[in-house]
Amino acid sequence: MSRQAPLVIDNGTGYTKMGFAGNSEPSFVFPTVIATHQSASAGSSNTSGGSGARASPPIAGKPSHLASKRGIEDLDFFIGDEAVANSKTYSLHYPIRHGQIENWDHMERFWEQCIFKYLRAEPEDHYVLLTEPPLNPPENRENTAEIMFESFNVQGLYIAVQAVLALAASWTSSKVNERTLTGVVIDSGDGVTHTIPVAEGYVIGSSIKHIPIAGRDITYFVQQLLRDRGESAQIPPEDQLRVAEKIKEDYTYVCQDIVKEFKKYDADPYRYFARFAGEHSVTGRKYDLDVGYERFLAPEIFFNPEIYSSDFLTPLPEVVDTVIQTSPIDVRRGLYKNIVLSGGSTMFKDFGKRLQRDVKAIVDGRIAGSEERSGSHMKSSGVEVNVISHKRQRYAVWYGGSLMASTPEFYNVSHSRVDYEEYGPSLVRRFSVFGSAV
Amino acid sequence: MPAYHSVFNNDTSVRQVGNIGLLPINTKIRGPAPLAADPSQPDIIEESLDLFRANCLFRNFEIKGPADRLMIYLILFISECLTKLAPTPGKPSPGYQEALKLLQTQAVDTFALPGDAGFPLNSLYHPPANRIDADALRSYLTQTRSELAIRLVDRLYPYEQVLGPDGQPTGQVGGRANKPSKWWMSFQKRRFMGRSLSA
Repeated sequence: MSRQAPLVIDNGTGYTKMGFAGNSEPSFVFPTVIATHQSASAGSSNTSGGSGARASPPIAGKPSHLASKRGIEDLDFFIGDEAVANSKTYSLHYPIRHGQIENWDHMERFWEQCIFKYLRAEPEDHYVLLTEPPLNPPENRENTAEIMFESFNVQGLYIAVQAVLALAASWTSSKVNERTLTGVVIDSGDGVTHTIPVAEGYVIGSSIKHIPIAGRDITYFVQQLLRDRGESAQIPPEDQLRVAEKIKEDYTYVCQDIVKEFKKYDADPYRYFARFAGEHSVTGRKYDLDVGYERFLAPEIFFNPEIYSSDFLTPLPEVVDTVIQTSPIDVRRGLYKNIVLSGGSTMFKDFGKRLQRDVKAIVDGRIAGSEERSGSHMKSSGVEVNVISHKRQRYAVWYGGSLMASTPEFYNVSHSRVDYEEYGPSLVRRFSVFGSAV
Repeated sequence: MPAYHSVFNNDTSVRQVGNIGLLPINTKIRGPAPLAADPSQPDIIEESLDLFRANCLFRNFEIKGPADRLMIYLILFISECLTKLAPTPGKPSPGYQEALKLLQTQAVDTFALPGDAGFPLNSLYHPPANRIDADALRSYLTQTRSELAIRLVDRLYPYEQVLGPDGQPTGQVGGRANKPSKWWMSFQKRRFMGRSLSA
């Protein structure tokens, strides 16, 4: 029996990535946002709906409250980029906060359009792979299963942990020679960076660390540097953030040493300084500006957060080391050996190289210290430190999902509709790791 | 990787006043500073100029020796110079000659020593033990500041490359830039360790 390719949907706080298993890139990537017509107060909570409620004061007998109209307004919503485009007349809601689904009603409708309007799939013909953040409560998985099986009637469902999928995605790298599900995942998106240790497919929840520095902060920092230099006088005010973002994406790289890098720029300015050409988004007026030290200073805030923030000062390599040191001792070697990058903000050139060098320096320093304290009686054989970067890093979680869902055993580990009807939603509390045998 | 330190911290032969090291420098300006043994090697002034842009980004700095204290002082002086040269409303930045004159005056102008009321880093610097030491320190710093001012202006107003018709440098060198390099001036608002000499 030939099966239709499973759907792979990765709902993140910022963006939703979705497509079909077996593909190398998601078919759709858009913001996880839903625009509904009702005022925000009617949706989830009474506290957050300030602007929506003010725009249309509740008047008794308003047509929209007529029973005859009910059922239609339910369908009147947009998701993703369309939602953003319609933000003037609709109110926007972000159903996912901090990686976890907060508003189930919105999420259900969000999935509805994902599947029917964008993927154009019949859910009853497909298995579905969804993702969840580490430490997702089992109740959330149950709710998800309920929606998937009862509203959409999917053939089968598997809910995978994002970090584990990111590990699986790293198998495409040429540096990886054994396929393990043990490693540290550094997942950096727009809002926050997570470092998540995973041992044989299970997340070590107690050692997870979050870093409040990610893509958005880098953009702000670029903007700040441009402003300090007076470049921003060239840029129209409404384009400032966009230009900073563009410079971040197109020009930046990670350097090995700031002072040496400054000297390189002094010695050969024409090679290093770049010129950015932009166009005013409304009037079409052309402008250009110089791009300089922000090229290497911007990603530097991962390694020296001090230059950007005054309240978070621990460099990323140190955080990674702490995460591994607080994990069980028997997996530490495996964790050091397999540090995997995932997410758009880890895409800077030479990011992995620098991270590997810095983590290695911390580890070697500690080994040298303990050798000395033992009176040079003990000799360590050394610890291997490897940072893996690969081509699929940007959508690593989705790609890992696509990879997993295209293997034959995906169907063995996922929960089928028959099982669901037999056991009910508590079925998804059971969590079977797969891929360990791949 | 925290902020950068001076490489001269472990040089124990250097005379100290308070706890600032009076390191040898390369200079043609007369004064009490010991001359560097090998003029081709970078001295503390060169080091401060090199580290200025990197260290300026940092707010925390752990002092590791007498040379670090001198370097901090010089870096703060560079900041002060940049502020002097910054354009103000109605008054653009000066050209090379004028800037040189301006900073040389600034270098020999009266300034506070450790222990004086106006000195910003009194918690980290010991005051000189007596008048003789204080005078020695003052004349040493004056000399170092003057030398630094000359070298700073040299970096701020680089010789401009002559561009070919394709916009690429031809290798020929033209005259001095007519305003200070914006790549340096952009660090004017950043305060190393959150301090400045004038405040």
